[in-house]
Amino acid sequence: MLSDADLLTRHIAGDTTAFSEIVKRHRDRMWAVALRTLGDPDEAADAVQDAFVSAYRKAESFRGDAAVTTWLHRIVVNACLDRMRRKSVRPVADDELIEAAERDMPMPDQTAEREVSLEVTAALKLLPPDQRAALVLVDMMGYSVEDAAAVLDVPSGTVKSRCARGRAKLAPILSHLRNRSDLTRVSSPKGAELRDG
Amino acid sequence: MTGDSHYDLEILAELAEGLLDDVTALEVRSHLAICDACGESLAGLAAVRELLAAVPMTAMPLGVAMRIDRALEAEAERGGLRLVEEPDWDEIMKDSPWEQPAEPVAEPIVEPAAAQVIELAPLAARRKRPRRSWAMPITAAAAAAVVFGGVGLATQLVASGSGESSGVQVAGPAVSPDKTPLKTAESWAVRASGHNYTSRELNGPLLGYFGPEPGTGSNSDEQTDKCVARKANELDRQPIAVDRAFYNGQDATIMAFWEDKTINAVRVVVVGSNCRSLRPEGLATWN
Repeated sequence: MLSDADLLTRHIAGDTTAFSEIVKRHRDRMWAVALRTLGDPDEAADAVQDAFVSAYRKAESFRGDAAVTTWLHRIVVNACLDRMRRKSVRPVADDELIEAAERDMPMPDQTAEREVSLEVTAALKLLPPDQRAALVLVDMMGYSVEDAAAVLDVPSGTVKSRCARGRAKLAPILSHLRNRSDLTRVSSPKGAELRDG
Repeated sequence: MTGDSHYDLEILAELAEGLLDDVTALEVRSHLAICDACGESLAGLAAVRELLAAVPMTAMPLGVAMRIDRALEAEAERGGLRLVEEPDWDEIMKDSPWEQPAEPVAEPIVEPAAAQVIELAPLAARRKRPRRSWAMPITAAAAAAVVFGGVGLATQLVASGSGESSGVQVAGPAVSPDKTPLKTAESWAVRASGHNYTSRELNGPLLGYFGPEPGTGSNSDEQTDKCVARKANELDRQPIAVDRAFYNGQDATIMAFWEDKTINAVRVVVVGSNCRSLRPEGLATWN
């Protein structure tokens, strides 16, 4: 099987099928990143489409000093951050975070998994974009701090700091979900599996 | 620490991430040893990580995937990417200047054994894709000296047209001194290894085949030169090596072009007689 780098090289050389293969390989995880970062399927679809088209156009800018997946993640995350920043008006205070989370409480008849997903999504949307992106990559997708730093193009310490502050804000909002026996760690092993191919 | 003598969540989160300096970290850990409330808060932070990780991954909806495919197809049409299917270049290029009879030119003097490789002047400067112009801005004919395995053999690569001249780069002291050296450019070495390549071998590494050995001698001709020049023009770059050999038992010319030097990737073109492709262009490693 051709590597991502080989496919990208073929795409640059004019192979019209190569980029489609890259998209096929990575679209699910790019979708996951965008959906979790933006918390809105329509916005996520727009962001992923913009990102893939952008990657298609600027494939020649890829220099091989990073993995193709890192490069794609960076483009997707930047597309998401751009969208979030365009919509961002002001930082949200902690009490507003809690109120908003309570407003978005799921219906009691929903399954536990969906319940958690909705609550986490609602809570994440209240974080500043940078903290949200860091938590999505590290805690939700299971990437290492170093990988996340490469995607976000910031030092590892910055990723750790953003994660720490984001978790500190989320802890009171999601405290009622603690110690749920029906919750299992799903994303990180999956993220690691995807990341490692 | 908060007014109730507890550490706030952000400090605890920074402790968990190893972001605190040694002194502060020691203080916080000492406090945690005796404060259940702060211990609970720290556990709450760990629970956040578990909750975030518990959100299931969902595949991209088919509708979104199709929408992206359509967007990329539209982009391909706008961007004018190359076709995978190779056009009939013989038909397209039949009226090109270099396909016309050339004006006679003085053959460059080549000292026997003076040069070991063929070096041909580039036909055209690298152009930005997707525009592909086949006009050859050459007034004077350009010749290429060809030497194989220590035996001098010159062939001419002639092009006519208008504009500036393209020069001849010959290894060794073989160029007529009254010819002004023109723009220095990459050149390629033609070998005649006679090796019968398999598809697997052409996935690389190729250096062993195109390197100093086993290239010995050749019987290159104008047809080969034209074909190499044509492929160079199609790819907008000069080959780094050319081998007259065999591919799966057929007479073949194998050409290698840098695809991406940083990742050691070369594009391999295999053609038979009449410059017809014998194998889809592929990528290989160089060394």
